Amino acid sequence: MPKIIDINVHHVTRVEGHGNIVVKASDGTVQKAEWQVPEAPRFFEAMVRGRSWEDIQTIVSRICGICSITHSLAAIKAIENAMDIQVSEQTDKLRILTHYSEQLQSHILHVGYLVAPDLFNVKSVVPLVASHPEAVKTIIKLHRIANTWSDLLAGRTTHPVTFKPGGFTKLPLENELRDLKETLQGIVPDLKTVADVVLSVADRLPNFSRPTEYIALVQPGVYTFYHGDIGSTDTSDRVPISKFETVVNEYVTPQSTAKWTKWHRPSYAVGALARFNLNGDLLNPLAAQVAKSFGLKKGCANPFMNSVAQLVEAVHVVEASLQIIDELLAKGIKQEPIKAAPKSGVGVGCVEAPRGILFHRYAFDKNGICTGANICIPTNQNHGNIQKDIEAFVPQIIDKEPDQIRLLLEMLVRSYDPCISCSTHFLNVEFI
Amino acid sequence: MGDEGVGNAIIEDFEKKKSRFQGVDFLDLGTSGPNLIHAIAGRKKAILVDCSLQGSAPGTIRRFKPEEVREKTGLPHLSLHQGDVLGLIELSKQLGECPEEIIIFGIEPEKVGVGEGLSETLKSKLSYYVKIIEKDLVGA
Repeated sequence: MPKIIDINVHHVTRVEGHGNIVVKASDGTVQKAEWQVPEAPRFFEAMVRGRSWEDIQTIVSRICGICSITHSLAAIKAIENAMDIQVSEQTDKLRILTHYSEQLQSHILHVGYLVAPDLFNVKSVVPLVASHPEAVKTIIKLHRIANTWSDLLAGRTTHPVTFKPGGFTKLPLENELRDLKETLQGIVPDLKTVADVVLSVADRLPNFSRPTEYIALVQPGVYTFYHGDIGSTDTSDRVPISKFETVVNEYVTPQSTAKWTKWHRPSYAVGALARFNLNGDLLNPLAAQVAKSFGLKKGCANPFMNSVAQLVEAVHVVEASLQIIDELLAKGIKQEPIKAAPKSGVGVGCVEAPRGILFHRYAFDKNGICTGANICIPTNQNHGNIQKDIEAFVPQIIDKEPDQIRLLLEMLVRSYDPCISCSTHFLNVEFI
Repeated sequence: MGDEGVGNAIIEDFEKKKSRFQGVDFLDLGTSGPNLIHAIAGRKKAILVDCSLQGSAPGTIRRFKPEEVREKTGLPHLSLHQGDVLGLIELSKQLGECPEEIIIFGIEPEKVGVGEGLSETLKSKLSYYVKIIEKDLVGA
């Protein structure tokens, strides 16, 4: 066992955004184990003040390029809540169908591009083309289909343009929905392929567990991503989303530019594993089979199994989408005039982002101008739990070599699929 | 974004005159990372335009092919938004989907980071960059 452990991961790769891991130990005693978030604040809550109710969802969709549909939907639900705007059953179903496209896209991207390299001992997905060509091609195919699905319903893959308070600016044609149905039926075997490949290396997921409070949306009879109340594994009480601030209890901590949250315990977790732990008995049949094949059961407190729960959900949302398409086609797609007018009010919208429960709150004046906003994102809510997991996990692995410790902690962080923030990008090259 | 937005600015310019370039799609891929693979799949030619740290004077534009450079960032998939361009091109090749020709135009920034708008150095050269890139579109 190394005497001195001094690990400084600056920044963790294969996550969205920037986060650091710091571990210092001596002779087996851990002196410091920290998850630090140095990401700069984004100021969206300030940006939307003074903006029209009709612009909010467009602006806040830019919070993220991966869950832009989710942010748009949360915003629109909040606006409709604030202004008592009702939507039709058709609009509701189409929004959920669109939302599912992003769940598939995000989960496949995370499991395939970001987590898989760890399970196969490579640094990125590129080397996997040589060793597992069919699996990589399948991942890319699924990701591509999910993008096309988003294009159809949201107008484009990133930053939707068809959503507005009260309805859609453009509806899909019925033959487009039939084509989508055929495509989704076609990818069920592909999802099974990916599940089988991950199952073949699932024993490489660390066997670490820590009693954790899990929080997600709950709705009777539905494995929900869209409607419901706030549920917790620590209580059977359910909290209406309008009272989300009593659940998240955000606070500032010196090691992070992102706030932390707590409810019944010093931290809690959100995301696919949280949804599974609260709603797992409501999965669609094929998804339930995939969960069973991995031995994933309600009550699982191993954060590394979040990626497995994402895979299960990828199957679930495809099954659920096929059902929704049938329901939409049975009634036919109808052109619906949007009836929405601004008025003063305060509203909350809540949806499950791929990474966990997301809350948007807005206040508007009588002209529909935003006077205030509060947005609490899932990764925010996971930071404190990542810290607690690191504190519990490090002593269990402190005897390993520093490189192994570093990798395991990076895998732990990646398992949460954190979406820390968007950042700038550029190529940094040297000529050869 | 500062000069990291030079690619966006150039695409916006081409969008205004895209009817002159039949068979060419101008795509703002933003920070979409892995979506680059889908955008270039099956195309005959792909031209990537982006801000690039190349050790040149600010504002310098260089035309090169992927095989002529080596990524210096050193951290594969630093984030989903970095996307590891050269790695994704390699992935595309291995999948058999890569365009016959990929050209990269890298533009050396003067300033990158939090802020809005291009530096004066790059802004003043925007039409020059567009003219240079246009040559690769003729006959595309």
